[in-house]
Amino acid sequence: MSVVVKKVDLTWLDRTYLWPIAKGLTITLKHFLKQVFKPTPKRLTVQYPEMKRPVLDGYRGLHELKRNEDNSIKCVACFMCAEACPARCITIEAEEIGDINTQQGLLEKRPASFQIDALRCIFCGMCQEACPKDAIWLRKNYELSCRSRFEMQLDKYDLMNTYAGDDGRERVEHIERAAPKPERQPLSNQLG
Amino acid sequence: MDYTFTFLGLDIPIIPVAWMLAKIVVVFAGVMGLSAVLTWAERKGAALIQDRIGPNRAKFIGNFRLFGIFHLAGDGLKLIFKEDLVPGHVSRWLFWIAPLLAFIPAMMGFAIVPFGQSFEWRDFTFHLSVIDPENGMGMLYPLAIAALAVYGIFTASWASNNKFSMLSGMRGAAHMVSYEIGLSLAVIAVFMQAGHYDPHRIIEAQTGLWNVFAQPVGFLVFLVCAFAETNRLPFDFAEGESEIVAGFLTEFSGMKLGFLWLSEYIHLVTISALMATLYFGGWKIPFMPDPVGLLSNWLGPWIGPWLGVLLSIAAFAAKLLAFCWFFIWVRWTLPRFRYDQLMFIGWKVMLPIGFANLLFYAWLIHRAAA
Ligand code: SF4
Ligand code: SF4
Repeated sequence: MSVVVKKVDLTWLDRTYLWPIAKGLTITLKHFLKQVFKPTPKRLTVQYPEMKRPVLDGYRGLHELKRNEDNSIKCVACFMCAEACPARCITIEAEEIGDINTQQGLLEKRPASFQIDALRCIFCGMCQEACPKDAIWLRKNYELSCRSRFEMQLDKYDLMNTYAGDDGRERVEHIERAAPKPERQPLSNQLG
Repeated sequence: MDYTFTFLGLDIPIIPVAWMLAKIVVVFAGVMGLSAVLTWAERKGAALIQDRIGPNRAKFIGNFRLFGIFHLAGDGLKLIFKEDLVPGHVSRWLFWIAPLLAFIPAMMGFAIVPFGQSFEWRDFTFHLSVIDPENGMGMLYPLAIAALAVYGIFTASWASNNKFSMLSGMRGAAHMVSYEIGLSLAVIAVFMQAGHYDPHRIIEAQTGLWNVFAQPVGFLVFLVCAFAETNRLPFDFAEGESEIVAGFLTEFSGMKLGFLWLSEYIHLVTISALMATLYFGGWKIPFMPDPVGLLSNWLGPWIGPWLGVLLSIAAFAAKLLAFCWFFIWVRWTLPRFRYDQLMFIGWKVMLPIGFANLLFYAWLIHRAAA
């Protein structure tokens, strides 16, 4: 069906152009004055570095590798995330934990190194979906600029610390290696 | 005190020469500076009219931003240090000359405009216009110079050797030439009423009543033609970025582009100054026909004249800036006309109205004389 466009009959006043132009000028002047006297926070534009929009739930930002309460890594190096990753940007090396502690129960594996190439990552969240231990989360940090490619190769400790400041937790600095090795106890003791 | 010194066998009067040099420097630097500030005003004004914020990031000394005015310095530096790209297919000579051809006439037009009241000191009379009055050129000079602006645009477009640029040059030349006629017709009516075409006399003739009230129709014709002459929206056919890329600017980059842009804004300043002079009483302050004389009587011969001169300059500057803002304001209100509409308005509307206006005032003057 065709639409009949209604032709507007211009009055003689409109035909002079001057009157419509004057009307247009008042409109733009109104916008101008309104915008001039509006304080910056009330304007439509968000002045980015100073003002930030709230990040919505479900946003997939930079990853965090979750920790247990004793700050040991939650990941068990099962490679599920690396398998699921469509960008193939997760590289894990597993190691065995000889001394099983109470927090980690009967875990025997943990990542010796866990690297995410954040330049290849497409922030799809598949790793988070795949992880059986909920050990990897994509959270709300979207400000990932840095000065070199190298800085975007995130290793295990980078990933454990990504949100340390936001959560008010202390940073994990190679804690597992730096901490004095606990006395080796008989396996039966720990199992109770 | 001896007021002359001899140089190369010529007796050169020091004070008039120094005054002339000072005027040249102040006026040209002032016009250049103002047109540079106008580029900022245009960006900021556009932003605010469109409910945006506009340039506000450039910082100067710490956190000093001042509504983004330092973007000016950034823009200028960028244009100067940018690679001066000359495409292979351009006509090199003309490509170099074109920005100057646009820039120099634009700068020259302002020279005739009196930007303040003349005053006397010792036995000299100082005129606040670069070219002294009674020079025989009067307001014909800026009109003639403004006509040269076409060459800048046309040379730029021809030198670019690019179809879009060519189109723009054609369009620009056609519309500027057609609107010049309307412009001149409107101005002739002003000349007739003042009885002279010297700007100082025209300003004197507006003492009681500004020409904008005496000749409102002529003013409208002048205003519309002024928009066309300066290549501003709604008549920016030479640039027309939605139709022909950037028209005659397409191939230019670096400071050449800077000069072409700047000359557009200098035209804007000049035509605003002409408008203020011809129709809004120049440096005249309403209800204060002679600020220098009045303030001399009030405040004595020491401060009075200077204050009066400053006041008249301020009045002129206020009018000038108001018109500059008006040009910017209109630009962000109106869309571009169609090309045939442009020609229609130029030849079939502005020209007859200009003639009618001229004949009407001729008849009025004739009747008054009879
Ligand atoms: S978010 Fe997607 S691309 Fe990035 S590491 Fe996880 S699975 Fe790989
Ligand atoms: S992060 Fe999760 S899925 Fe990936 S290796 Fe560790 S436990 Fe497995």
